[in-house]
Amino acid sequence: MAAQTQTQTQTNMGSKMKLFVKDAVSRYTYILCAVSVVGAFYVLNPRFLSMYSVQNMLVEAAPLLLMAAGISFVLFTGCIDLSTGAVASCVCVLTGTYVARVGHGIIPLMILLGVAAGFANGCIVTKLKVPSFIVTLCAQSVWKCVALVQSGGGSKNIPIASRSLVLWASKPFLHFPAICWIALAVLMIFFFIQQKSVVGKNIFAVGANERAARMAGVDTAKAKIYAFVYSGLGSALAGMIYAYKLKSSVPNIGDPLNLMAISAVALGGTLMSGGKGSVFRTLVGVLTVTAISSGMNMAGVDAFWKDIVYGVVLIGAIAVNSEKGVRDLVVR
Amino acid sequence: MKNGLNEREFLPRLLFKGRNLSKTYGGNTVLRNIDIDIYRGEIAGLVGENGAGKSTLLKIISGVEPPSTGEMEMNGSPYKCSSILDAHRRGVGMVFQEQSLTANLTVAQNIYRGRESRFSVLGLVRWGKMNAAAQKVMAAVDIRDIPPDRKVWNIPFAARQRVEIAKVLDIVSNATEDRSLILLDEPTTVLSREEMESLFREVRKMAGRGNGVIFVSHRLSEVLELTDRIYVFKDGEKTAVLKTSEASEDILYEKMVGRETTGEYYLSARQALPSDDVVLETEALSQWGVFIHVSFKLRRGEVLGICGVEGSGKEAVCSVLCGDESATGGTIRVNGEKRTFVSPKDALDAGILSVPRNRREDGILGMLSIRENITLSSLKKLASHGVVSLKKQNEEALSWVTRLGIKCSGIFQRISNLSGGNAQKAIFARVLGSDCPILVLDHPTRGVDVGSKGEIYSLIREITKRGVSVVLLGDTLDECIGLASRILVMKDGIVTGEFDCSHGRKPSQVEVVQKMM
Repeated sequence: MAAQTQTQTQTNMGSKMKLFVKDAVSRYTYILCAVSVVGAFYVLNPRFLSMYSVQNMLVEAAPLLLMAAGISFVLFTGCIDLSTGAVASCVCVLTGTYVARVGHGIIPLMILLGVAAGFANGCIVTKLKVPSFIVTLCAQSVWKCVALVQSGGGSKNIPIASRSLVLWASKPFLHFPAICWIALAVLMIFFFIQQKSVVGKNIFAVGANERAARMAGVDTAKAKIYAFVYSGLGSALAGMIYAYKLKSSVPNIGDPLNLMAISAVALGGTLMSGGKGSVFRTLVGVLTVTAISSGMNMAGVDAFWKDIVYGVVLIGAIAVNSEKGVRDLVVR
Repeated sequence: MKNGLNEREFLPRLLFKGRNLSKTYGGNTVLRNIDIDIYRGEIAGLVGENGAGKSTLLKIISGVEPPSTGEMEMNGSPYKCSSILDAHRRGVGMVFQEQSLTANLTVAQNIYRGRESRFSVLGLVRWGKMNAAAQKVMAAVDIRDIPPDRKVWNIPFAARQRVEIAKVLDIVSNATEDRSLILLDEPTTVLSREEMESLFREVRKMAGRGNGVIFVSHRLSEVLELTDRIYVFKDGEKTAVLKTSEASEDILYEKMVGRETTGEYYLSARQALPSDDVVLETEALSQWGVFIHVSFKLRRGEVLGICGVEGSGKEAVCSVLCGDESATGGTIRVNGEKRTFVSPKDALDAGILSVPRNRREDGILGMLSIRENITLSSLKKLASHGVVSLKKQNEEALSWVTRLGIKCSGIFQRISNLSGGNAQKAIFARVLGSDCPILVLDHPTRGVDVGSKGEIYSLIREITKRGVSVVLLGDTLDECIGLASRILVMKDGIVTGEFDCSHGRKPSQVEVVQKMM
């Protein structure tokens, strides 16, 4: 009996050690991933890490970061938001069209629009009990259509006379354009919400175990609605940044962004089933995705091939991160 | 001999033998060194309270779970199976308590699920043939009123149970020539008297052909009516094996209950004297089809125990009180004020919080840390303007970990790594930390080791002394009587009895059980 107990303790120790290693590996995979991607492109082309190239990448990364940070909250709850790209397109078009007339007043208006779009998604998901997948897929279609109708189907430049209104966004400030700093500031706010706010904690609780969170008296509907609102807010900011950056309204700017944003979150190691993740991890994921995108550009990969890479990367990242040890885990 | 068959021919021939069967879940033993023999042609009864280990034993025999220790033999050769299908091949089939039919398939498809190949040509199933075969299988059990091509969701619950029985009988009798073991886990709960009698006839016929049957039921009268021998279980141990001819309900009650309560284990001496002010009052509370007219008053510092077998409606009363389900009639008053709960959040706002019954599913948030789990219900208290003070949160979690003696490597450890007892203490910490004056404890000691049980008992005493009121669904009857100051007994959705259990005036378990069954 005693011998048996001893062997048991030994195997326990062994499995604990294994668990620890496994835990450490899974905890830092996302950083490893980012470093290896950057490293690989650097070896292929040392100019990849030149100041010019890095500046370019960060300008590329800024809107994606905003969208991905917002969508992270939705993924923390275990839901999904497929409408972010379309909301960004729509906001980009509206900003591009009206900034000349409204001036900087367009910024709070567009933020309001993003919040409203997220709020609508959240309410439909929680009150009408429609799966988030369906709700946001339909919302995507709606916002895309609004963008196309509003723009007349093509890109339009912001009139030269009003250019001065939007130029500040691309002006460098401490080596990097202002939009990079804005994106970073918003990320910090999101990080604060995630770490310290009641809503943030409840969002994770809902994702970890919605039943248990509900039984503990958490307002699960409110938590989910907030998550969608943050997602809408992030998308709206992303759309605005595109309008300011490109100095024009582009009705299909957001189309590839949704996939990129979700890929970025997944690459950061956030679980698609909810409950685990961080917007900081999303930042690393966004940098990885941007590095892949820019790296492919520099390597001369045809733009049409890029989406194939994102698709593969997304599935790969999710497969690596998903919890497989759980018995009877049903993936929907 | 009840089954009207020759005892000499079958009884000496052992069909199934289990020796030293034990089952431990994470340090918590739910089944201890069980020896069991089933002879051919025998119907054996299994009785015991909730949590006595009956279901666990059936799960082990039917291949759902392996035993932690012990050996089994079936038809004279070693029997070890890793799945239900494995067990079927060896001639062991179980009719599950919960309906295990797939509702969106037809009756015939369910009967032959996993065995369609016999009707198929090149992967295409000949449904007509399958339906005809299913009709025959059901006719063997006297089911003639259910069309085999009907979807299961279109037939009533009682009929589903009969289909399930027909299916299992067919599977096992195909596997062995009348040397099968059939496990019936509370098959009669949803059946009417006539249906039950036809089921009994069928079971006797099966046994008469030489198969063995294990029959589990909460209704002792049925067990006494149907079986040849009765195994009595209590707290995971076998307390008696009786010939049915020598058993009576009273004897069974006594054996199920075992030793008299040692009051000290539940610290009855420290039981708080409830004050007179009523904090929670229900009036004719009902939930359609589940329970009706449940009225009680809960006083400050009181422990109100609700007893009843599973399915008596006590669980639903509990769910309604903590806001998880809604009542369809009656009123709930908290401190005299009428309240309706749409979600547990409303109940929390009114000052009611629950320790849920299923810890893994409804209690812990396994992926999150102990800190987040403990403070989940009291975040508002720890926050100002929606911003949580992490310092306060850490202090709160740490103080509960020390106070309740939760064994962990730190408050940031994932709660899923804790043992059952420690995880349960963390949930208690969450509930107590919320400062709710009314707690609903739904099986607070389920799956908890003996040491932690004692600590939870003394915790309950401590909080009631401070004026917290408790609605308790005990994990065992013993526990419910030991802890409660008043007991409500429920049966089939109605309150059948009420006992005053102040210290020194505890009702005996037999008295309570008689109202339950």
